[in-house]
Amino acid sequence: MSTPAIRIQHLTKDFRLGLRGVKLRAVDDLSFEVADNQVLGLLGPNGSGKSTTMKVILGLLEPTLGKCEIFGMPSDSVPARRLVGYLPESPYFYRFLTGRELVGYYAGICGISRAERPKRVADVLELVGLSAAADRRVGTYSKGMLQRIGLAQAVVHDPRLVILDEPTAGVDPIGAQAISELIRELKRRGKTVLLCSHLLAQVEDVCDHLVILNQGRLVAQGAVGDLLQREGLSNLAVENFTPAMRAEIEAVLARHGARLRHVDPARVALDRLFLEKIGTPEEQKRGTP
Amino acid sequence: MSSSLQQIGQIGRLTFLEAVRQRFFNFLVLLALALIGGAGFFRQFDFGPQELAFTANFGLGSMVFFGAILAVVVTAQLFFSEIENRTALTLLAKPVRRWSFIAGKLLGVALLMLVFVALLTALLGGYLWWRQGQLIAIRHQLFLAGRATTEFPDYLRVHFDGLAVNALLQWLKFVVLAAITMVVASFSNTNMYTVAVSFFIYLICQLQYIARDAWANVESPVLQNLIWLLGVVFPNFQLYSVGEMLVFTTKTPVPAGAVLAAIGYSVVYILVFYALAVFSFLSREI
Repeated sequence: MSTPAIRIQHLTKDFRLGLRGVKLRAVDDLSFEVADNQVLGLLGPNGSGKSTTMKVILGLLEPTLGKCEIFGMPSDSVPARRLVGYLPESPYFYRFLTGRELVGYYAGICGISRAERPKRVADVLELVGLSAAADRRVGTYSKGMLQRIGLAQAVVHDPRLVILDEPTAGVDPIGAQAISELIRELKRRGKTVLLCSHLLAQVEDVCDHLVILNQGRLVAQGAVGDLLQREGLSNLAVENFTPAMRAEIEAVLARHGARLRHVDPARVALDRLFLEKIGTPEEQKRGTP
Repeated sequence: MSSSLQQIGQIGRLTFLEAVRQRFFNFLVLLALALIGGAGFFRQFDFGPQELAFTANFGLGSMVFFGAILAVVVTAQLFFSEIENRTALTLLAKPVRRWSFIAGKLLGVALLMLVFVALLTALLGGYLWWRQGQLIAIRHQLFLAGRATTEFPDYLRVHFDGLAVNALLQWLKFVVLAAITMVVASFSNTNMYTVAVSFFIYLICQLQYIARDAWANVESPVLQNLIWLLGVVFPNFQLYSVGEMLVFTTKTPVPAGAVLAAIGYSVVYILVFYALAVFSFLSREI
């Protein structure tokens, strides 16, 4: 069995508040693993401990108790952080740099040689669809472009694990769709992705596994399909459905000891409808919705 | 190690680029340059043979005053812009050690102060060189006409090598001050608090000689040790107030050994304050 991308064991994190040092427990005895090449959604309401957990994974916070490993190494070690790319929530970057300079700066910080840097930077800018805007100053970028340049800096050193904190916050549905597509592309390239998002439709769409936190504790974890499945219930999608058909189906089901619970008109998700009307990012580029 | 040095260089370069784009830096540089450039207007007043000394003192004073403001405010701003904009989060999530981050920030501020001191020294030196030439020529004409008893006196001539040494000492002082500000920033929560506390420490460093003199004769060993401790903890910034002695020949010229000792003194304090800033920043939750 291969080493998990992330292994968190009995993680507890307390913060001391105020002069009296009142203890606030942000994460309480949390344990979970993320397998290599998995896309894991980390969900929970505000204040549930998601950001604290992510900061521990990134080595930015020390656990009060427990431990966190990345590919078998302590998460706060420099070798572990070489394997991690991180996109913070609502990223802010040096506005006076161009997109190319910014990604080049982070590439240099990650130890990519001067000779190798231009090609690597051009490749990731192509991956996030910012080649055309690469020489514009970051200060002129839209919210969606900032998220994409943030993603570019996160993957410029070809990390094995990519951590995305609200990558679609404030981004329109077309931008969100583009970011979802990028996450799928990262998975195709063999990366492990930890996605923290309040956009549940997107999480359901791109994630293999889920970890749900509440008040610092783990409340659910597992494969998306398993967690969303309702025990003993199935859906059928039928074309040209008539009342006569319904009566016959109910009779058949009754013979087998089953029961038809309800029949609803099929609905399309709102984001899907929006994209059908407006066009996918690729269609937008071509100008044909 | 070499990758850490490269990271420090890259963080320092970006910090410098960010700083020179700040309006505050540009405003202070322009103001200081205008004051030094405007020193020429003092020719309207008759300072007699002391004109060069007055202009030099005015220029050196501008450098000390604006340089101290710049070292404190820009260091605090550059540190907190990284924390508040969460660019530090992005950077420290990469394989960057916290000591590299602090070293890079300090390097960026040191480069900025180097540019500031070099600009002001170049302008002041250029003006003094031009004006000295004029005054020597005028005095020579007066001497030939018998209206002056001597040529332009040596003790009033500007020593440009001394001006350069003074620039080096002032730069080191500003880097010490930036390192002090970095220590305060490493544990404080706001920019304003950092600036206020750093200026307070600057005042202590600038005025500690008064306390030393006042308490020189105290007999209490406790007080003596306290004064000794204060003198060790806070660098004595009066050591750098030798501009006039360096720029003009005086009866007691500054020996080369004293200049070297001041350089060593600065380097030790920079390293100690840097280590303190790193120690404090290591436990900071970002």
